[in-house]
Amino acid sequence: MAKYLLRRFVGMVVVIILVLTIAFVLVRFAPGDPAALMLGPDATPQEAADLRTRLGLDEPIIVQYATFVGNALKGDLGESLFFNRPVTSILADRAEPTIFLALMSLFFALFIATPIGIYAAYKRGSLLDQSSVTSAMLAASIPSFLTGLVFQRVLATNLGWFPTAGYGGPDADIWVRLGHLILPSITLGITNSALILRFTRASMLDILGEDYVRTARAKGMPETRVILRHALKNAGIPIITVVGLTFALLVSGAVVTERVFNLPGMGNLVVNAVLRRDYPVIQGTLIIVASIYVLINLATDLLYFFIDKRVKY
Amino acid sequence: MSVRKTLFALSSALMLSVSPVLAAGTVNVAIIGEPDTFDPMVSTKDVVSIVTQHFVETLYTFDESWAVVPLLAADMPEISDDGLTYKIPLREGVTFHDGSSMDSADAAASLQRWLEVSSRGKSVADKVAGIEASGPNEVTITMKEPYAPLLSLLAFSNSAAVVYPEEIIAPEIETIVGTGPYKIKAHEPDQYTQLVRFDGYTQPTGAAERKQVPDEIRLIPVPDGNTRAEGLLSGQYDYADGLSTETYDRLEASDAAEPVLLKPFGWPVFAVNHKKGIMTDLNIRKAVQAALPFDDMLYAGFGDEKFFKTDGALYPEGWTWHNNAGVELYNQNDQAKAAEYLKAAGYDGSPLRILTSHQYEFHYQMAEVAKAGLEAAGMKVQLDVVDWATLAQNRNNPDLWDIYITHSPFLPEPALISSLFSTAREGWDNPTKNEILNRFTSESDPEKRKAIFGELQKIVLEDVGFIKVGDFNALQGKAKGLTGVNPSPWPAFWNAQVSK
Repeated sequence: MAKYLLRRFVGMVVVIILVLTIAFVLVRFAPGDPAALMLGPDATPQEAADLRTRLGLDEPIIVQYATFVGNALKGDLGESLFFNRPVTSILADRAEPTIFLALMSLFFALFIATPIGIYAAYKRGSLLDQSSVTSAMLAASIPSFLTGLVFQRVLATNLGWFPTAGYGGPDADIWVRLGHLILPSITLGITNSALILRFTRASMLDILGEDYVRTARAKGMPETRVILRHALKNAGIPIITVVGLTFALLVSGAVVTERVFNLPGMGNLVVNAVLRRDYPVIQGTLIIVASIYVLINLATDLLYFFIDKRVKY
Repeated sequence: MSVRKTLFALSSALMLSVSPVLAAGTVNVAIIGEPDTFDPMVSTKDVVSIVTQHFVETLYTFDESWAVVPLLAADMPEISDDGLTYKIPLREGVTFHDGSSMDSADAAASLQRWLEVSSRGKSVADKVAGIEASGPNEVTITMKEPYAPLLSLLAFSNSAAVVYPEEIIAPEIETIVGTGPYKIKAHEPDQYTQLVRFDGYTQPTGAAERKQVPDEIRLIPVPDGNTRAEGLLSGQYDYADGLSTETYDRLEASDAAEPVLLKPFGWPVFAVNHKKGIMTDLNIRKAVQAALPFDDMLYAGFGDEKFFKTDGALYPEGWTWHNNAGVELYNQNDQAKAAEYLKAAGYDGSPLRILTSHQYEFHYQMAEVAKAGLEAAGMKVQLDVVDWATLAQNRNNPDLWDIYITHSPFLPEPALISSLFSTAREGWDNPTKNEILNRFTSESDPEKRKAIFGELQKIVLEDVGFIKVGDFNALQGKAKGLTGVNPSPWPAFWNAQVSK
């Protein structure tokens, strides 16, 4: 186990260094000038050039890269060109809405998908099974921005059930902030529930055909116990994999949903940073997202071990 | 408890927790994005002006009819007969947000910084001989040559000559301290700028009263236009800037909000590269001017005549500067004539590179129609569609474009139109135009200036200095219960009142 963890840790470091380098190279070679953007339309080319010098953007690329890597290794991801604040502090501020949104949408997705997936597998071929598969296809096919726009117009603007956008403003307490996440969470939850539902159903179908399930039934074990205790536990690994991947995807920033609902999360931050060419923020976000991905993948793999004792590392 | 009762109780609890509970007298304004800076001296962006005008002030400002009136100045300046000396009296008893009093040393140091760091200040710096605090409450600007637009430059909220305490003056100011009716209470980037009433504010003598009606003004960056509209229609925002024209009918039909049409707002413009490339040839420029189908371009860009007017004059009817000199050259839509100009130019089929983006959809839509018109005249057209950050970079490199598309609000003083100056990125350095422009900027008599502006407009059209596409109207929106906000490209909210 220790050997396995060490191997995974070395792998993680390699992935993060690769991401760090690719992020740096990509953003520097993409066209666009943050200085020209910051100064506005009537600033002269000379003024933009002067600002680039002040921001240190005209130093040789290799010098900028060395500074960036050196600082990143010390945990310093640089300072935002626009906010004059450390990237780590900005990312810390933006983590809350993104993490809550990820958790809440995952909750909605599991709440919808797991029971339907289990029941659809149990009643294979029934009307409910067929309609759930069709609905899952439909939910997966509709992009979340469209669902978001429709929900926003109908449930927020027309019916006034939810706030339209934002994260509550200056005096919002945690409940108001969470309230602002309900509609975006449902939007994301519906989209993500499709994949979880299909995995749950497929995994349960496999397990329900196993000999030990038939044995359990033959022994007269109650059906609920057969399904929940024996079948679901063994069907869990693929479900956990897809839940883990979905969560990683959500934590790395539900870009479109955050944009539609104007949530100040990491997805919106990275979009704004790209539009503004705020290089340190783009690089910092990519590094953090990559780290989250590898950590969640590791956590998912470790979870297998706890769920299924036959798994050995 | 039954399932239905439980659900009802749960949804009621959620409703209570998520309904926006507003402080009395809070005005929520959805703006198009986060201001890059709170120092309006160093930015020419409109969103920076909209936000900062509430907490920093200039010596002069514009009234509703765009006349210059005193703001931090006590009166209009005493200008010497030769037009070289401006003695500006300052209001007494003006307090900065840090509690210190404003005096002439603050004003002089701020004006000096404006000449050094601001785009508009730099444009006039070589004409300024000196700035001095000539009395405890008087500042004197001495010019090397008469420069009539000076007061308009001092009054403009964009690249603005705002007054800061002398103590904080530096090339970069970390914490802005102003004199405005509101001060910054909190700022969360990409979430809000929270402004609260400044109790030490004293009213200006010339500008309209800034009554400090709302307790708070919240300027909320909402980059997505649809989200701004939905937020306004749902009652979450009291005012929304920069709405799509497609929202107009929904706003008109709404019980909660209504459209605010800024008519006319400004002009889309094809900026012309006079430094390099095929547009340096006058015949090619004339061919482009003759070929462009302006009314079709405006239709494509704005979709409905409610939102545009096919008009070649640089200022619309009703403005002091409106005249019809040279407008017969506008909207010719004559591809055969354009072909003759191309022949005269010995056009070799080099592509005309039009640089544009989807940032403002009407820019792109106009470019597509322009391309069709130019191709009908026999030109090869290359549309370079990039994102806004790339456009902002590429337009500073004259090797990369022949035309780029932009737009501007109608500015209160023509000398604020940067494209008229040979120092602008377009580099329009026509000697006759320069001579007219010099006469225009040094003449102080308003009637004579109007006549000279007619000459200037004529040469813009004859030499194709830049290509005005037409007039367009901008759409903002406000809550039905909101009063006290004058429609403007830079709306201010110090007199705003919301009855809910």
